[in-house]
This record gives sequence, structure tokens and C-alpha cells, in this order.
Amino acid sequence: MNAPPSLHHAHHASPVYFLQGMRKAVSVPALVLFASYLGFGAVLHGVGFPLGAGIASTLLVWALPAQLILIGGLAAGTALPAIALAVGLSSMRLLPMVVSVAPYMRGPRRSLFWELVCAHFVAMTVWLEGLRMLPHLPGEARVPFTLGLGLSLIGVSCLGTVTGYTMAGEVPGWIAAGLLLLTPLSFTVLMVRNAVSATDWLALAAGLILMPLTLNLGGGLDLMISGIGGGTLAFIAGRLLERRR
Amino acid sequence: MIAPMSEGTALLLVILLGFLPTEVWRTLAVIAGRRVEEGSAVFHWVRAVATALLAAVIARLLFAPAGVLAEVPLALRLGAVLAGVAGFLVVRRSVFAGVVVGEIVLMGGAYFLHG
Repeated sequence: MNAPPSLHHAHHASPVYFLQGMRKAVSVPALVLFASYLGFGAVLHGVGFPLGAGIASTLLVWALPAQLILIGGLAAGTALPAIALAVGLSSMRLLPMVVSVAPYMRGPRRSLFWELVCAHFVAMTVWLEGLRMLPHLPGEARVPFTLGLGLSLIGVSCLGTVTGYTMAGEVPGWIAAGLLLLTPLSFTVLMVRNAVSATDWLALAAGLILMPLTLNLGGGLDLMISGIGGGTLAFIAGRLLERRR
Repeated sequence: MIAPMSEGTALLLVILLGFLPTEVWRTLAVIAGRRVEEGSAVFHWVRAVATALLAAVIARLLFAPAGVLAEVPLALRLGAVLAGVAGFLVVRRSVFAGVVVGEIVLMGGAYFLHG
């Protein structure tokens, strides 16, 4: 990435673009991330998951739904291979996201290593912001800009995780309850917003309704039945509905 | 609650059950590139399962909550989330408004009940 700047239009060195990316991270989406990870930190504290590993999950996984399924699965006593499967299925949505934004995350010289590093930052926020901003940047700016943006957003999220974890143990009960509600509340609203097709609504309903019904099955079967079973049912029902139209 | 575990064990679980199953898709996307059909049946199925899984995890956080949220009655927890969805729908589909309304209902209720 430290290739000498091209003679024609490169007026800036990589660090300048890195800083530009960092500056662009100061935004409304960063505030949303902070609040979301505040809730995640409170959940970590609530279920008794170690803080260090919780922060590591924000750094390494960098996909809040996957992190919640991981922590929720562990708290439910789900079998470990089943958790890995559930996380993998939840994260599969990242594949088309990376495919669509990756062409804008390459420098003038292709480097598999930097393409993989940049891809790591792709989750909802960087995907949206990347598609919006990267196409307007010159080729040599894209990798350092992505790094600056991605690292700052992950940093903000780690800060949120620590703050939520710490606050959950120190604030009065009614505020701590509010922190713990942040995740299920914001995700429910977001999922209602994102639901477009009949299948989306059916899957949302299936998960919400089947989970309390299977809660006492033990062995963590609840997540498998309501998630994979409910999602598959919603998929089939959605197809049948579409065919009828 | 999770059985007490060391940071090391927890980190190992994060890497094996969180990082690897997630990063594999990002890596595949870079390597396989454009040979992916976005509209295929498999993708619709995955989207449905991912949605239901997330909904199930959320329902679990509401019906079997951790920490002090467990001391708040179930009706208040569900009522707060429903109020949040209603707030979202009423106030120009604003996620922020929905979250604020839901939090006011829950924290107000919890404060009233427990102080």
C-alpha cells in the first residue's frame, strides 16, 4: 500500500487518505453503532461473558447479529457446532455485500492481502458508506481510506462495548434495564424497517413466535428450531404465496 | 447466564464460533468474486434463515432476559418493544424515534415499579 504516488494526479500520500477516512467516520452511523454496541456491552455484562473476549468479538467478528447469536447461543447452552452453524448462516449475507463493494476497495495495483483486510471491515455500515463514498475517490486513495474509516468505526464500537459493559454494572436498575433493552428494541425496529417481501415478514414472525414456544426444550434446541426451522418454513411459505399470485 | 469462563476460553470460542464462520464469507467473496448469483433460491433461503435466527435471538433477549431486565415484568418488556415499533411507524419511520419511545416506556415503567 505504500507504493510511490503516481506522477499524474496523486497529490496525497496514503496517510492523508487514511486520515480522511477517519474523519468521515465521525457521522450519524457512528453514533448508531456506538448505541448498538452500548447495548451489546450491557448484554455481555448481563450474561456474564468476559469483557476482553467481548471486545475481541467486536474487532474480529464485526457483525453485531453474528455476535448476538454467538453470545445468545452460549447463554442458551446451545451445542457449540450448532452455534458455529447459526453464526455462519447469519453471516452469509456478508458475501453479496463484499462482492458488490470490493471493486471500490482496490488500489491501482491488485493485492489479495489488502483486499482481504478491506473486506474484513465490510458489515452494514461500511458497506453503505463505502458504496456511497469510495466511487468518488481516486484509485490510490481507496485502500487507506477504507482502513481509516473501518478502523475508526470499529474503535467507536469497541468504546461502546466497554461503556455498556461498565455502565450496566454501575447505574441504577431501571437505567441498566433500559441499556439491556437497547439491543432487542433497536433490532426489532430495524427488522420491521428492513422487511420487504412476504418471506421477510414470515421469517420475522416465525423467529419471534417460535422462540418463546421452544424456550424450555433445553440443549439450546430453541435457536435451531425457531431460526433454521422457522426460516425454512417462512422461505417455503413465501415461495408458495408468490406462486399463487 | 453463561458458566464462568476465563478470558482465554472465551477468546477461543469467539475465534472458532464467531470469527471463522463469519470471515469465511468475506474471504470467499473476495476470492470467488462475481461468480455469485444474488437472486438464486439458496440466497432467498439464507436470507429467511438469517432473519428468523436474528428474530429468535431477539425474542430470547425479551422472553428470557439477562441481568436486571429479568426483574421487569414480561408485559412491560413486550409493551415497550411494541410501543417502539408504533413510535417508528407513527414518526415518519424513524428508527431513532422508535428506540426513544420504547426506552421511555421501559425505563419509566421500571422506575415506577422499582424506583
